[in-house]
Amino acid sequence: MTASAAPLPSETAATRLASRGDVTGFLMELAAEVGAESYMLVAIVHDQARDDARIVASNWIFDAVELIGRRLVAALAQGSFATAPGIRPQPLLAAHAADMDGLLTGEETKLLDVLGHGELYSLRLNVGRQRLFVLFSSPEPGRIEREALTRGQMKCCYALSQVPELLAASAAQDPLSDRERECLFWVSEGKTSDEVALILGVSANTVNGYITHAIQKFSASNRAMAIATAIRSGII
Amino acid sequence: MKQAQAREVAEALFNQQHSPFGGFGLGSQTHHAVTIPDAVRRCRWIAMDIKATGFALFFVGPSAERARLVPCFDSDYPSVALATKLMSGANSEDIVRHARVSTGPLWWADDAVAGAAAGFADLAWVERTVPLAPGSAGIAFPVHAERGQCGLVVFLGSEMVLSQEALYEIHTRCFSLFSAVARMRPGEAGRVGSITKRELECLKLTANGCTSEDIARQLKLSVHTANQYLTQSAQKLNAVSRTQAVAKALRLGLIE
Repeated sequence: MTASAAPLPSETAATRLASRGDVTGFLMELAAEVGAESYMLVAIVHDQARDDARIVASNWIFDAVELIGRRLVAALAQGSFATAPGIRPQPLLAAHAADMDGLLTGEETKLLDVLGHGELYSLRLNVGRQRLFVLFSSPEPGRIEREALTRGQMKCCYALSQVPELLAASAAQDPLSDRERECLFWVSEGKTSDEVALILGVSANTVNGYITHAIQKFSASNRAMAIATAIRSGII
Repeated sequence: MKQAQAREVAEALFNQQHSPFGGFGLGSQTHHAVTIPDAVRRCRWIAMDIKATGFALFFVGPSAERARLVPCFDSDYPSVALATKLMSGANSEDIVRHARVSTGPLWWADDAVAGAAAGFADLAWVERTVPLAPGSAGIAFPVHAERGQCGLVVFLGSEMVLSQEALYEIHTRCFSLFSAVARMRPGEAGRVGSITKRELECLKLTANGCTSEDIARQLKLSVHTANQYLTQSAQKLNAVSRTQAVAKALRLGLIE
């Protein structure tokens, strides 16, 4: 077994990722490794029937986030150029972004370019069922190395796997009790309240009570919406 | 080296899941036919590169209650190896839980296999776990696919070689292998194809909390037609209620 050359900074950090500061430090090292100037770690949460971006860590200037807006950051992270692990990363080039399925308006494209995100990669991270994305960008196209990016994507997955509670706190929250979650799960499998009552060994009234609570907690308007919210946030 | 070249080309073809600038959003898919024998061959190439003697691909069951590994194929394809049977047995609960929340690879070596896989101990990100099957040494890569499917690609062997650099590459290849396998899973896919745009719109609005009346108003339909669309979509998804139809459509990635 041949040991590889001196470990990269992002690898020596491997075993001691614990706090939000560690994650930021790790992303800074990784950005340097892949040749990116900016990074942003985004968790997509579904709130009031719309996607919203919760930014976990980022070195984008404050103005950039304010001007672009979090809804657009969410759209950007999940754009058609976003790649899951195992797929060769594709950049969004501000210069050609107008060609890309109407994701950005001309104004927004210009903004991205001016703010130093002329070339932008969105990498999907698979850590549990959360929708996590890391964005790497640089002002000029061609500076980011794709091979390093592919490795970086895996490193990010590994690193974030170590801090589940941190992500849980900043991403989708699970407000449900065990019983409420169980009831919602069975309803999503097409069971009626009576059938769920039979499965769980409680009365149908109790089941309806649990479901009503769940609907209220999600501030949903009915069962279907509560279930959709729960599935979208990976709770059931 | 002709063979190596052919392999590269084949793997590149296999990897073409997203057209670089095409309009494929998340949840849509290409109609690139990949078969289980293709996937087995592909997995064998990965195994050869790390000098593994056996491999297996598992799905992790989606239900929270039944935490178990569902074998898809292994190195004895089309039959099933003994190790695979052992791994999908009772003691897989911990590793199932791990695969659901983490991407970190796990390795193990039974004491009976002397000096096996000692090299894994030096790798960053890789953790040691209890042997999945007695008398074996191996490494398991958690993998995920677009629609929330989760799985495990396992390699067995007492003389496996894996450097830090190769770890990322191998795991990346496992990911693309798994997402190809996940997309060809039999079952719902065939009939779901016939679901219409209008039916999906109705499902999407239902998921956002709309009643039939709301949908009728928004899409300028009669309430009766809106209900009809929802009933049809439920039938096509093999669901018993519109609530289940919404749940299925979300899990299949038909709606976001």
